[in-house]
Amino acid sequence: MRYSSQRVAYPYFVVAMLLFGLQMAFGMLAAAKYLGPDPLLHLLPFDVVKVIHTNLLLVWVLTGFMGAAYYIVPEESRVELYSVRLAYWQLAIWTAMGVTAVVGYVFGWTAGNKLLEQPFPLKIVIVVVMLMFLYNIGMTIRASGRLTTTEGVLVAGLACTALLYLPALFEWDNYTLSIFYRWWTVHLWVEGVWEMIQGGILAYLLIRLSGVDREVMEKWLYVIVGLTFISGILGTAHHYYWIGVPRYWLPLGGFFSALEPLSFLAMAMYAYYAMRRSGLSHPNRMAMHWTIGSAVFSALGAGVLGLAHTWPAVNKWTHGTLITPMHGHMAFFGAYVMIVLGMITYALPGLTGRSEDSRETTAGFWSFWLQIAGMFGMTMAFAAAGITQTYLERILGIGYLDTQLKLQVHFLMLVATGALFVAGVALFLWDFFFLAGRPVAAAPAERLAPARPTA
Amino acid sequence: MTKRGARAFFVAGTLLSALIFIALTIDSHRKIPELTNAAAIDATVIAGKDVWHAYNCINCHTLLGEGAYYAPDLTQITAQRGADYLREFLKDPSRFYSEERDGRLMPTLNLSDEEITAVIAFLGWVSKINTQGWPPRPILVKGSAVPGAVRGGPAPTAASSDPVELGRTTFNATPPACGACHSISPGVNLVGPSLAGIATMATTRLQAPDYRGSAKDVAAYIRESIVDPNAHVLTGPTYAAGGRSLMPSDYAQTLKPEQVDQIVAYLLSLK
Repeated sequence: MRYSSQRVAYPYFVVAMLLFGLQMAFGMLAAAKYLGPDPLLHLLPFDVVKVIHTNLLLVWVLTGFMGAAYYIVPEESRVELYSVRLAYWQLAIWTAMGVTAVVGYVFGWTAGNKLLEQPFPLKIVIVVVMLMFLYNIGMTIRASGRLTTTEGVLVAGLACTALLYLPALFEWDNYTLSIFYRWWTVHLWVEGVWEMIQGGILAYLLIRLSGVDREVMEKWLYVIVGLTFISGILGTAHHYYWIGVPRYWLPLGGFFSALEPLSFLAMAMYAYYAMRRSGLSHPNRMAMHWTIGSAVFSALGAGVLGLAHTWPAVNKWTHGTLITPMHGHMAFFGAYVMIVLGMITYALPGLTGRSEDSRETTAGFWSFWLQIAGMFGMTMAFAAAGITQTYLERILGIGYLDTQLKLQVHFLMLVATGALFVAGVALFLWDFFFLAGRPVAAAPAERLAPARPTA
Repeated sequence: MTKRGARAFFVAGTLLSALIFIALTIDSHRKIPELTNAAAIDATVIAGKDVWHAYNCINCHTLLGEGAYYAPDLTQITAQRGADYLREFLKDPSRFYSEERDGRLMPTLNLSDEEITAVIAFLGWVSKINTQGWPPRPILVKGSAVPGAVRGGPAPTAASSDPVELGRTTFNATPPACGACHSISPGVNLVGPSLAGIATMATTRLQAPDYRGSAKDVAAYIRESIVDPNAHVLTGPTYAAGGRSLMPSDYAQTLKPEQVDQIVAYLLSLK
């Protein structure tokens, strides 16, 4: 850590980790509800648990992204952050929004549009927070006049995230139009601009951890985000197949979805190349684990498992079954959860002022492998349930409820492997809050360190 | 490739994809009203969409295959169940399903009558959206017409002119989705009574003293129960409410006369 204002990333990571923990509680609750009679049916029905589980994920991952940007941008632009105070205010408003949303959902305050359930006033707050963030970052870069490709891709990804949230503010009388434009936010986030963010953070971490040549890494970063958009933008078509739109989206979705794994494959090769060059010599080995893990797991979850059900002739049968959460869980974990955890693991020694060599890593290793094993098991449980459901319900024509009763063993596996995953998360939180230490007060010498360029 | 070349690839690729995407979006936006029968979106349908959103329905159910995966898909539910049934169901789902028997139960939402009317109108509008043939086979809530057997296989439409065969096809098609509520297996009572042996059963019912319809023979009895379900109402836990059958009562309008003939011929074959 070279600039004291980078320290503002720490509270962002704290909020992200607290919400991550809360997300786990609701995830376990949702999984348990698959097993049968639900004692909380009237108190906390499935829809409430599910909406909180997914919304917490979106909020904490975005919190992690913003924290990561506040850590990366000063370092890349070689300048202190424009306003630390603004960053704190932004975090306070953002957290208040998130908590209000969760409490609101419990009491039935919802916009009811999948993944964009935030009620309208909260949507406005989200836009305001994003503008505060972009202003702060924009002014920082402007003050230094230095913009690297790595941070450029990261910041452009975050700016497009804000821009693509705008369609969520509109209401349509025609339900088909409302889902049509909902995917502009949801799909173009997770299979478009968030991949830019992932790519930017990945490039930053690989450059720092492996010491490979920046010019080479940034060249390939362009290729990766180029592939992402070429396949991802028109790949939106795979959400349009059956919702009341013209037929041409079917072949289009099939073709461009088949290209989508390319960008993830490129990312995995990219990470592998960097690792080969450096031979894992960086002392922060856990950060390296999460970084490489993110590249590999997103190639599996988002790339391969996405492709598994986006071909129209396959999707016709699997659409709306448990095949979707199979892909969703592994993709989100690999691409976005792991990259944020990687960023946090990388930044933590600097933020807390501890030597990277002295970091206790047993808990870190267990956390990593428990999460990997747990998520892999959950993916398998969803896959087994989804394939069985497709066969019994969609092909044989057995009723939904009868089919679900035949999937009980897979739901048991889901709960068991989910518990493994949660144990991994708990270890990560324990490590983060209790083992890694607290941030040290900024030393005066540090403040004086590379200041803004004299104009 | 130089870094400059890579950047050019990124910028050109992204711009080109975005342009194609926007052009297709404009085209789709123009065609969606026709594909979704937007002329039928009236104030009730819009109010129903608001009910759908306000009660967070999509976080258990799927609609057009989108949503959560914890409760049945509702794309064709109005075609499968009819408004009368759905109204009673929404008032108190626990009358129709139990957690012990079915594993899941929808909580009672305490919807007002207007909200129920609106959400049923909304779902009715959704069921008529042109979904490019999805779902390829009906997605049932519960049961299956022939437990364990393949349903809705290749439809013998043009190949056969046998009224029984044609009737079987209509019976399994959606709409009218007869099989969504009636099984043809003995003793398998879904939402509606099993139709196994209905030809034999009808003879007994016609002679029963409490028969209130006007049919004189078995074929007429079956026809009457299709086009006018309230002529003679059977009592059963989920068959009727307040003396009125929960079966859709508009088949006289929605089915062609020859389709009714064919279904009657098919049901007569179930002895």
